[in-house]
Amino acid sequence: MKVVTGVIGNDIHVVANRLIDLSLKARGYEVFNLGVNTYLEEFFDAVIETDADILLISSLNGEAEGWGREVKALKAEYKGLDKLIMMIGGNLTVGAGKAEDIIPKYKSYGFDLVCHQIDLNTGLDMLADYIKEKSA
Amino acid sequence: MSSQNDKLLIDVGSTYFKVCVTSDAPERRQLEQHFRNFNQTILDDLMHKCGHTISAFAHDDVFICSSANGGLSTLIIGLTHTFSLKYATNIAFNSGINIIDTILYQDLDSATVPSDLIDVVIIAGGINSKGDAFADDLYEYLHNVNYSNIVYVGNELDAANAKAQLPELVILPNIIDDRLHIVEEDLKAYLTNLYQQDIMGKEDIKDLYQISSNQIFSTPYIVNQTLPLIDASYSVVNPFILLDIGGATTDIHYSKDLVEENIVTNNEFDRLVFKKLGVYKSRESLIFDAKNNEFVYELLMHLGVTENIFEEQSDKATRILMQLAIFLVLCKMSHYREAYINLKLTAVKSIVLTGGVTKVLKQDEVDDIIGFFFTKILTSKHRPVTIMDSDYSIWTLGSRIQDVNLREQ
Repeated sequence: MKVVTGVIGNDIHVVANRLIDLSLKARGYEVFNLGVNTYLEEFFDAVIETDADILLISSLNGEAEGWGREVKALKAEYKGLDKLIMMIGGNLTVGAGKAEDIIPKYKSYGFDLVCHQIDLNTGLDMLADYIKEKSA
Repeated sequence: MSSQNDKLLIDVGSTYFKVCVTSDAPERRQLEQHFRNFNQTILDDLMHKCGHTISAFAHDDVFICSSANGGLSTLIIGLTHTFSLKYATNIAFNSGINIIDTILYQDLDSATVPSDLIDVVIIAGGINSKGDAFADDLYEYLHNVNYSNIVYVGNELDAANAKAQLPELVILPNIIDDRLHIVEEDLKAYLTNLYQQDIMGKEDIKDLYQISSNQIFSTPYIVNQTLPLIDASYSVVNPFILLDIGGATTDIHYSKDLVEENIVTNNEFDRLVFKKLGVYKSRESLIFDAKNNEFVYELLMHLGVTENIFEEQSDKATRILMQLAIFLVLCKMSHYREAYINLKLTAVKSIVLTGGVTKVLKQDEVDDIIGFFFTKILTSKHRPVTIMDSDYSIWTLGSRIQDVNLREQ
């Protein structure tokens, strides 16, 4: 399966981005890594150009909280993204926040899978389970 | 009579032509600039004004470049703004093309069909493993478009169907690789050749082969060749931008270090064009642009004039319009106005001006307008060094490089 990934906004956490890239490839995904400092439109455009199945956005500085609010409106402008699996992970809030508050918020933004401050492998296991569940 | 090392360089612009004698002997060097007489052919006009100089040179020693053909009109249809449309636009600008319209493929059903003849249509989109990016609606749309050339630079899987639908289609390698990076060479070579054919096909330009046996190149191509060697003529500090503000268009050549975009290319310098930003042929659209800029009235006040200047036909009005053109073009390239590409203008060390603008404005008038822009729009005290290429050294150097290249071939 094809995955588009990258770090959203003015966030330069390149090491985390590289780890995500390597871990996805190790699990057999075809990865299109847009790197750090990526804007929302670039993510969706990359999905269109590659025909990706999954969009995995990461954030470490919490900037995703601002960008997340734009996701639904922007995604609606594109044709053919209905089957796209939307996942977000990392540190998803600025300052302190509880997962039980953060996860529903991001789900309401249009993400299928939300991984707030959990380790990468656990997050990717969740993705594998979700794909299996969807295709069942 | 000219000596063995003397060369005659001619640049035919949309508004002016320039004739330059380069020589090892300083006393033989000369530069003339003339406003074009549009009631005469270019050759007649040239011979009328500079016939004595031109007839002193053998055809082998005359080098001509031109932007007077207006450039090719291009329509690009692509899948996304960030990749296919942006990459194809970047390549087209770097190939010397001035007139570019783009259509996002998913919006094709609401796109109007261009009424004018399009010189070249470019179809781009998808990495090679993406199939079915384009459907019948594309071909139905294109059947209604009047074009001379059409080229496909999209994903490999759709290429065969596209060719079956459009037999005249030229298929070139995809401009997007499997890492979503740009692949320029093939499309650039194709468009550069089309541009050359267009120049040579124009009756007015064709006549110029009566005075030169060398190939006539496009002026932006010549200028772009010069940029890596610009410090041979001026103390230019990188990164820099070069503004060529003329009668019909404004060309910008910029160091790639100034771009934050995702386009990864081997070029040191890229080019873009604002096709309706000039003070003669594009005067009306320049004024229209100016009236829609919220800072322009403050700028006019700063320059000590009112908007009545737009109605005037005087040297003063031309000077103000040139200053406005500099301001507007910087606005368009900055984060203040979203353009095709934004430059990190506070990182610019030098701004080089060439073209008609150097004949109209003085150094302090240019510095004044650039200072106003950095203060008002970027709220910055940064001041790049401005350099006026008043004697067309950049174009002269480019033409000489071309001469050397031709002799080496």
